Order: sequence, then C-alpha cells, then structure tokens
Amino acid sequence: MRGRPNPAALRAAATAATGIGLALILGVTAGTVNRVRDEAAGDVGRMAAALWELPGGGEAAVTAFLAERATIEAVRTDGARTGAGAHAYRTGELEPAAWIAVAPGGQGRTWPHLPATLALSGLLLMTAWAVARRRSPPSPRFPTIPALIASLLLAATAVAATGRTHRLLADLTTERATHGARAAEVALAHGADHGQARRAAGLPPAITPAPAATPAPSGTPTPSATPTPSTLTTPSQPVTPSDLLDALPGYEDTRSPAIPLTAAAAASSLATALLLFLLPLSTRPRTLRRTLTAWSFLTPAAVLLLLFTFGPLLFSLWISLHEWHLVDRVHPFTGLDNYLTLTLDGQWWSAILNTAVFTLHVPFAMAVALGLALLTRGSRRAVRWARLALFLPGITSVVAIAVVWKWLLDDGYGLVNRALEGVGIRSVPWLTSPDTALVTLMAISVWMVVGYQMVVFQAGLAAIPRDWYDAARVDGAGPLQRFRHITLPGLRHTLFFVLVTSVIGSFQVFGLVYVMTEGGPLGATDVAVYHIYREAWEFLRFGNAAAMSWVLFAVVFAATWLHFRFLERRWAHA
Amino acid sequence: MRESVSGTRGSFGRPRALATTARTTLLLLACLAMAAPFLWMAATSLMGQLEVFSSGGRLLPETPLWSNYPDALTAQPFARYFLNSLVFATAVVAGQVATATTAGYAFARLEFPGRDRIFMLFLATMMVPAVIVLIPRFLMIDALGWIDSYQGLVSTELVSVWGIFLMRQYFRTVPRELEDAARVDGAGPLRIFWSVALPLAKPAVATLALFAFIDAWKNFLWPLLVTRSMEMRVVEVGIAAFHSTYEINWPYQMAAGVVAVLPIALLFLFTQRYFVRGIQLEGIR
Repeated sequence: MRGRPNPAALRAAATAATGIGLALILGVTAGTVNRVRDEAAGDVGRMAAALWELPGGGEAAVTAFLAERATIEAVRTDGARTGAGAHAYRTGELEPAAWIAVAPGGQGRTWPHLPATLALSGLLLMTAWAVARRRSPPSPRFPTIPALIASLLLAATAVAATGRTHRLLADLTTERATHGARAAEVALAHGADHGQARRAAGLPPAITPAPAATPAPSGTPTPSATPTPSTLTTPSQPVTPSDLLDALPGYEDTRSPAIPLTAAAAASSLATALLLFLLPLSTRPRTLRRTLTAWSFLTPAAVLLLLFTFGPLLFSLWISLHEWHLVDRVHPFTGLDNYLTLTLDGQWWSAILNTAVFTLHVPFAMAVALGLALLTRGSRRAVRWARLALFLPGITSVVAIAVVWKWLLDDGYGLVNRALEGVGIRSVPWLTSPDTALVTLMAISVWMVVGYQMVVFQAGLAAIPRDWYDAARVDGAGPLQRFRHITLPGLRHTLFFVLVTSVIGSFQVFGLVYVMTEGGPLGATDVAVYHIYREAWEFLRFGNAAAMSWVLFAVVFAATWLHFRFLERRWAHA
Repeated sequence: MRESVSGTRGSFGRPRALATTARTTLLLLACLAMAAPFLWMAATSLMGQLEVFSSGGRLLPETPLWSNYPDALTAQPFARYFLNSLVFATAVVAGQVATATTAGYAFARLEFPGRDRIFMLFLATMMVPAVIVLIPRFLMIDALGWIDSYQGLVSTELVSVWGIFLMRQYFRTVPRELEDAARVDGAGPLRIFWSVALPLAKPAVATLALFAFIDAWKNFLWPLLVTRSMEMRVVEVGIAAFHSTYEINWPYQMAAGVVAVLPIALLFLFTQRYFVRGIQLEGIR
C-alpha cells in the first residue's frame, strides 16, 4: 500500500459499489418474479393435468378450464416438448399423455417502475457526484452526504422492490385461487366427486376436524357412521377461491425476496460507506496505511461479532415481530402482537417475578463473600487454601452440581433431610414444595457464587492502603468503626462491580433450574431464561420467545440503570 | 496489619492467638460447608445402588464399590462426551485467543479513526443477555445445516468481548519502548505483534485461555440446543441426559459427576494464580 490511492478512483469505486447493489436488487426482484410466475403456471398446469387424468376429463375438461392460457399437444413420439416460452406440464404416464403448456400469469402488473426509477436516479446522482468532483481533492472529513444518499437510495429501492414483488406475488396467489375454484367446478361438471375436485384444485385432502367445517344445509345428511370428529371426510361443497387462500400459503409468503433484498442493500451500503471512508484518508497515506493495518488485525473479531452478535440482535428483533413457528415455512408479520400478547401473559410475568426474587440472593452472597474475604485477609496460606475449597463450586460443571444437590435434598433419602430427622426436626420438602423450591435454589446459588465474589473482594481489600487503618487506630477507632469508615468506602467500586455483574448473571440462571426443578413445582421456579427456552424449543414459538428475550433485556437494562442511577452516585460520594 | 499467622510471638500473645484460632476454625468450617457436597458426591459414588436407600443412612460406603465407575461410564458413551467437550473447548480457546489478541492489540496500540467508539460498541455487547442471540443463532446454524456438528457448536463461540477487553488492558501495560526498538530495526506491525507484544502478553493469554476453556467446558445451554445425537453431546449435556435416564440410580450419577468435576478441579489446582489474576483484572478495572 505504498502508492497513494487516487480519490477519483475511490469515488468511481464507491459509485460502482452502489450501482452493483442497485442492479442486484433489481435482478433479484426480476428473478423472483419470473421464477414465481413459472411456479404459478406450474401449479395451474398441475390442476389442468389433474383434470386431464379424470375418467371423464381429458381435453374437453382442460379446454373448458383453460381456454385462453393453455396449449395442449399430444406427446410427440420423441418425447420432446412444444409450446416454447411457456410452462409445459407433462401429464402422467397414463395414455393419453399430453403436454399442457400454460402461459405465465400475473400479466396485470408489468415491470416494477418505482424501484427501477429510484435505482436509476440514485445511480445517476452518484455518477454525477463522482464526475463533478473528479478533479477536486477530497475534504479531510468523511463524505457524509454522498454516503447517506447512497444508503438511503439503496434502502428505498429495496423497500420499493420488496413491496412491488409482494403485490405481484399476491396477485399470482389470487389468480391461483380463482383457477383452483374453476378447476374444481370443471371437475365436478365432468363427473368427478368432491375429493377429486379438491385434488384438481390443488388442495390437500380435507381433514375436517368437526362437522362445523361442513355447515351442511339440511338436505345433505352427514354420514352417521363417522361419529369421531377427526376422521377423513370430504366437505361436499363447491371449492371457493377463499378455500385455496386459506389452505395454501401464498407465493408472497413462501417466496418473499425480503431477506436477499435486505442483504443486498446492506452489503452494498456497507461497501460504499467503506470506500467513501477511505476517501478522506487518501490524502494522508500514513493514516490510511495505519487504518488498513489496524483493520487487518481487527477483522477476525469484527466479522465474527457482526455475524454472530450484531446480526443476530437485529434478526432477533425481526423474529419478535413475526409469528414464527420453527416448523412452518411461512412467518407472517404480526407487528407488535407478540409483545402485546406478552403483557397479558400471566405465566411470563410470574417467570419474571421468580427471576427477580431469585436475584435477591445476590446481597446475601455478597455479605458472606465479604465476610470470608475479611476472614482470610492478611494470611497468604489461608487465602490459598480457602480459595481452592470456596472456588470449586463456581467453576465446575453446573449440571453435576445440580445433580448432587438434588440428591442431597432428596425428600426421603437425601442427606440433609436425614440429618434433620436425626436431630428430631421434620424433613423439609426442599425442591418439591412451591413454597420452598425457589428459596432452595437461591441458597444453592449463594453457595456457587461466593468463592468468585470472595476473590474479587480480596483484590479490592488488598488495594486499600494500610496507612489508613494505622491512622484510624491511632485515632482510637475500633474494629467496627474501621470497617464502617475505611473498609466499606474503600471497597465501594468493587462492591458495585460485583453487584452489577452478579445481578446480570443471576437474571440468566438456567442450568440449575433445568436439572433440578424443570421450572416446577407448579411453576414456582420457572425463571425467565427457562421460560424462553421452553417457549422456543418445546412449543416452537420462536416469535414469542424472541419477544420475551427482548423484554428480559429491558428488565436487565432497567435494573442495571437503576443501580447506576441510585447506587453508584451515592457510593461514589460516600 | 494485626493479622499474622505466625501468631503467638507478638506482645499481645494470648488474645491474638485466640483470634487466630477462632478465625481458622471459622474458615475451616466454611471450607467444609463448601466442600461437603463434593465429598458427599464422592462418598455416594462408591455406594451400592440400594445401600443409598438403606434405612439407617450412612456417610461412607460399607465397602467401596469401585465398579460403579466403569459401569456408569460405559452405560452411556462418556468417552465420546469427553472427547467432544475437549474438541469444543480447545477450538473455542484457539479461536478466542486468536481473535482477542489481534483485536486487543489493535485497540491498545494501533491508531485508526473511530477506534474508541468501535471499542465501546464492542463492550456494549457485554450488557446484552445471551438469551437474545440464542434464537437467531440457532436459526442461522440450522439454516447452514450445522446442527449436530462441531462447526455448529464452535462457530458462534469464537470471539469473546471480555477477552478482547482483557487483552487490550494488558497490552496497554506493555512498555512501548520495546516495540519502538523493533520498529527502528525495520519490523512491520505484524512482526512487532507476533515477536514482541504477544510473547510479553503470555500471562494474559494464559488467563484468557483458561477462562475460555472453563467457560466452554461449562457451557450447557448452547450445546443442549445444537446437538441432537448422542455422538455429538458434550459432558454437560451428557450428564443431564444421564440424570434423566438413571433417575434414582444415585451412585452411578455421582460417579459420572465426579468424573465431570475432577478435570476442572485439577486444572484449577495447578493454574490458580491465572484464575485469580483474571478475576482481579476484571474486578478492579
């Protein structure tokens, strides 16, 4: 990188990056539309083929169905197909076989003008900028305006293209529904039964859950031999377009180009911004070289964080605005519905409440840890040995620890209850009563985190100058006064740090609950992360679970903020 | 300070000795309370399956039943679980050390526009509860077809912002003169990083590696989500599955628990000072 990069070349490259992004957006749009038109024609072709194969069907039925759009030819002996430029559907192996070529539909709307205009004007604007400034030296500041214009245009084009494509695909969905109803009608007219008519329309065999699905007029008696509601019955009603709209996911849902379009716009904005970012540096080759060196060091971490932290954060927000089931291919946009549902979800709020109560173990743990740190103070040997015993619970396998405690606290045979009975006290249902389970988990958690907190406090204590204690002793301060006026103020930053990190940590408790109580009994230990885990990986409601995780984030954030607002200020000026 | 273990020779001999004794006793009691569950785990792991339910209740096995260990560890493929945990933890250590040393060095020593703002942006992610990114990460790994594979387990865990922070703090304490001398000798940035700064940062790298290893070894939720088959389970998930299969066979479970706890306990025993350094670096800031 010894050579000085040419500003004009950088401007041209930035323009090109924007241009490629815009072209990509339009290309993806056109590609999606063409592909789905073909797919839709294929779906119609399948309806025609089903009509062809009906016993009373054949060419007459297909012609009645698709007078305008289809060309039908018998299969030529060499198997080659005719009907160029149209989607051809070869009917089954049964004779008479035929090619039914269906012209693509969705002609009502043509080339997407708005996104194309936007893209073209954006490209012109960028080119004009690059050409107009081709001889001027770059200003030392980041060219905000061109960067902003480029990314805004990319975003606008992507949004317009997405909207345009969605409308077009929705038209194709409606068209398929109309054709389906027509196909069913033709099938019935050609002597098919209702099941065959549904199949011709492309509908799955109907599994009607209850007679309610067939609000049969009094004239058509439902077969009395099928008393169980979940049997396979065919509604003896003509298929309507809305049947298809309800039963089949629309093309705009299954083939939505939103994600590739967003990705193209984002990548292109990023590339443009990056190239523009180099522009002010191009006059300062030293800075430029340093920047490039620094980024070559930073890239591995930055790329991984972008992919697996920042990206997922945005993705999670996106998921939380959708009804997102893992098994469904379609994730309808529902806006804030998930959040609104949550506000009324009593179980969720009780999980939040349980989490908050669980967090109350932190001050107890801190008191114990501080006591232990004071006990081990000044003796290196004691410090070392105490550490080993006290630290182990915090660093070893949470699951193994949870299993041990479950055994220790077993109702009938656990060591703790046996000891209690040994000294004549009634055994306690530690984990099996809703009244005690959460408190038990809190106690175990104290046991787990005390060692870690003790080590932090030891470090904090070591940082308090000894002279202060000596001076206080000379002034006649007793141990309690020294603790109150020297130790506590000297530790306030450490105390604050431990409090905040422990509270954030305890909001995320999972392993203990998963192994020991599974949220029970009666939801008494159902904490937030466990609740989210079940919502997502047991009930597969990812949208709800994502919304919950954002609510949890808000709660954690609020708690941290409160700590900073009320405690740090007070402690910092104590 | 008034405390001194060598104790009794001071002029206030008796009260000080008394205080020391009281303190030592208290500390011993605390240590015993902390260690008791582990001791009980070890004791139970050597008892018979029915012995643990015997009416009297005993603290130690009548005769140590060592066969519990081979029996429990072959009841499920624990060797495979250990191998998986080892692969997972080692890959995470390698990844986090590589990303944290390079990024930490850039933030500490290299100059570029927006450095401190980008660093703050990185740090801000430490505030975010891990559960938020869990769902999108799972969906991404699923879309890549990496569920139930090593790359699925590892890829999301390769960078640690805490590690970047730690390395940045440490690199800032390394004297600049050494780097300047290397620069005068004509070494490039990469060369300086590799042969001057990184060797000096060995203690911090050791701390980071240790924490990364332990965190990966203890990681339960992520491996629980992205592994399906028994062959891909890590130890933590394996123990949990073992627990739900062998519900009341406590000796077997305790034997598995001992085997899960032991490596980490030994590791801690020999690397204590790096641990403590890490925690103290974190705590004082």
